[in-house]
Amino acid sequence: MQLKKSLIIAITLSVISLVAWELYWRSEGKIPDLDDDKNLWAVQRARVDDASLNDVLLLGSSRVLFDIQLNEWEKETGVRPIQLACAGSSPLPLFHDIVHNTDFKGTIIVGVTPGLFFSTTYPEAGPWKRPQSRVDYFENRTYAQQLNHWLSLPLQKNLAFVSTSEEGFSDDIDLKSLLSSISSTNRSGKPEYPPFNSFAYIDEDRNNPMSEKTATDTAFANGIKAAWKFIIMNNQNPPDKDATTNFFVADAEKFQERGGNLILVRCPSSGWLKEGEDKFLSRTEFWDPLVKATNAKAYYYEDYEQLKHLECPELSHLSAPDARYFTTELVKIMKADGVLSNSKTN
Amino acid sequence: MLLFASYVFYGLWNPPLVILLWISTIVDWVAGKKLAVEENQRKRKMWLILSMVVNLGFLAFFKYRDFMLDNFTAVVNSYGYGYQAQPMDIILPMGISFYTFQTMSYTIDMYLKRTERARTFLDFALYVTFFPQLVAGPIVRAQELITQFYEEKRATINQFIWGLFLLTIGLFMKVVLADTLLSDTADAVFGSTSILNGLDAWTGTLAFSGQIFFDFAGYSTCAIGIALMLGIILPDNFRYPYGAIGFSDLWRRWHITLSTWLRDYLYIPLGGNKHGVVRMYSALMITMLLGGLWHGAAWTFVVWGALHGTYLVIERMLKTRIHIKITPFNGIFLALLTYLLVNFTWVFFRAREFSVAKSMISSMLFLNNESEKILYSFDIIKVFSVITLLFLCHWFMRNSSLKELSLKSSSWVLGIVWACMFFLIAISQGNGEQFIYFQF
Repeated sequence: MQLKKSLIIAITLSVISLVAWELYWRSEGKIPDLDDDKNLWAVQRARVDDASLNDVLLLGSSRVLFDIQLNEWEKETGVRPIQLACAGSSPLPLFHDIVHNTDFKGTIIVGVTPGLFFSTTYPEAGPWKRPQSRVDYFENRTYAQQLNHWLSLPLQKNLAFVSTSEEGFSDDIDLKSLLSSISSTNRSGKPEYPPFNSFAYIDEDRNNPMSEKTATDTAFANGIKAAWKFIIMNNQNPPDKDATTNFFVADAEKFQERGGNLILVRCPSSGWLKEGEDKFLSRTEFWDPLVKATNAKAYYYEDYEQLKHLECPELSHLSAPDARYFTTELVKIMKADGVLSNSKTN
Repeated sequence: MLLFASYVFYGLWNPPLVILLWISTIVDWVAGKKLAVEENQRKRKMWLILSMVVNLGFLAFFKYRDFMLDNFTAVVNSYGYGYQAQPMDIILPMGISFYTFQTMSYTIDMYLKRTERARTFLDFALYVTFFPQLVAGPIVRAQELITQFYEEKRATINQFIWGLFLLTIGLFMKVVLADTLLSDTADAVFGSTSILNGLDAWTGTLAFSGQIFFDFAGYSTCAIGIALMLGIILPDNFRYPYGAIGFSDLWRRWHITLSTWLRDYLYIPLGGNKHGVVRMYSALMITMLLGGLWHGAAWTFVVWGALHGTYLVIERMLKTRIHIKITPFNGIFLALLTYLLVNFTWVFFRAREFSVAKSMISSMLFLNNESEKILYSFDIIKVFSVITLLFLCHWFMRNSSLKELSLKSSSWVLGIVWACMFFLIAISQGNGEQFIYFQF
């Protein structure tokens, strides 16, 4: 046996097989994309420590992540916001972290998705644990983890097959996800989570437009809707309005006392999801008391003629063009109100 | 250069804790230097005690403080005192159990005059800090490693390529076999709050038995491979342990550098097998109990060690009464029996609470009538396939080695196997899960 010969054979076969694998997945429509993971979030969170009065932080759940587009915001205000919203999360732990662990006094936009914002303050509940784990990761991440992230970015940006995701989307193509997609008998008898595919692309600074496929392919969008339905129908926990409101208000007071500018935003939703929100988490019972208690500037999309007719392809988030429009119009409204005091003027 | 790289490597995790490494290094270097020249027995003993106190003191403070405090609180409160301990929330320095044991072996060997003093401080510092094996072993003896630092090392081309091959195998074991194929099933089963169906409980336990092997042996193989690429030879840490016939054999094959450490520095000083059966069995039990505690500051680890100690005692008792000639036919049966019994110990190793372990054991013994199925059929098939291959591989390789097998293989076969492993590592990607043994 000649080791050198074996090495040459191994390198040759590895390169051939990986190139073939990459080409195959590209032919299937996959493109290189970043993973919206704790590392990407932590890099943005680190920017808050050096943020000035002019800076804007975006907190919330996926609606803020999808609907507020950083390029449009920057175009309108001259300031590129720091995107810290987390999908499937309550913004309360994130806001709490910013208020208590930084001295940031600029503008914070908090997106209010009623089902998540008013869900819980229980640390082990998903909507709380998920964002809190990112906060904890940011505080405890090692230099090795930071280095690992920076080294992985060029691979993620250039190779379609590098697609493992923290979310665990059904259409991920890492080996574990591919094995999970093999159909098999469900012995538990419990309802199965429907396939939940990735439906956005994210940039290095977490600008996150919806993918074109979601906006144009109805069958694909219906798959996402089915996932929302499963999550909502299987959620046995009632909202905890008082605890969540009180928790947020305490932090809001502290932030405003030190001169911070707090703005609440309700982003669009559509169809049966919107009807459900109106029925079980109504504006008058949840949003209005929150606005009153925080004494913050607040923007409910339905109050504005230019925003109220926007439709979400999968009921909860805007398509990329609509998100750009929404951002532009929202900023114009805010500027007209004078709530973005440090933005550029036209 | 290597020493600097090793400190940078450790510092990338937590820079301030490099100071612990320095203290351990300086104390043991000074103790070793004194032990090399000091003839007064009492003073020699004092230097040895100093080294032990510092190293074991680090371990006690960083690893066992909360455990001891919890137990103290529980005992005090059982007498009706309302004592509330203040948790210190101390970070556990990565690899502390490994490097403290390694440096202690140096001073103990110096005390017993079994090894020579390291020639220079830098050689000794590199022995303590050598990055490939710093955080999870193999735990190397001074005479095995320090002497390799005396001359400038450069790997031969064959050493470099073989080291690269070992690194690939180690990563394959960790990324593909442990993390991709087995970890989720083990996590789902041990994380479940339900009373599990017997098949699910067995699948989860078997998955963990494979995961812990591939994870730890994977790390060791990476360490050995990286060291070899630098021209440094490290000892084997695993020798197909699930092909073991009996528990003495198992411990000659599993985490070899720890089991030989415990044998040489604990079991033999406690009397070993030279002072009658009672003392031998006591020494065996104490060694295994402390071996369990070495893995983690929890009673579940102590029970894990106690079970292994009990298995070893029973095996020795049976060996004096029953003599079996091992053949390939009864051998594989005995190896399978050993492996199945080992699985019961893994339950205590993996379960974070006794209630989970108890529920798992009763499920594995099919004692729960109303139980829940949580795994999909594919998960069960996947785990049983991997574990069957693992067991058969260990059985057929038990008297051989990877090197031997490779030498018999053609370059093409080795190259193709190598490429397959690399391809699977690349498409698995992994999510940066750290090695399980880093926490010990």
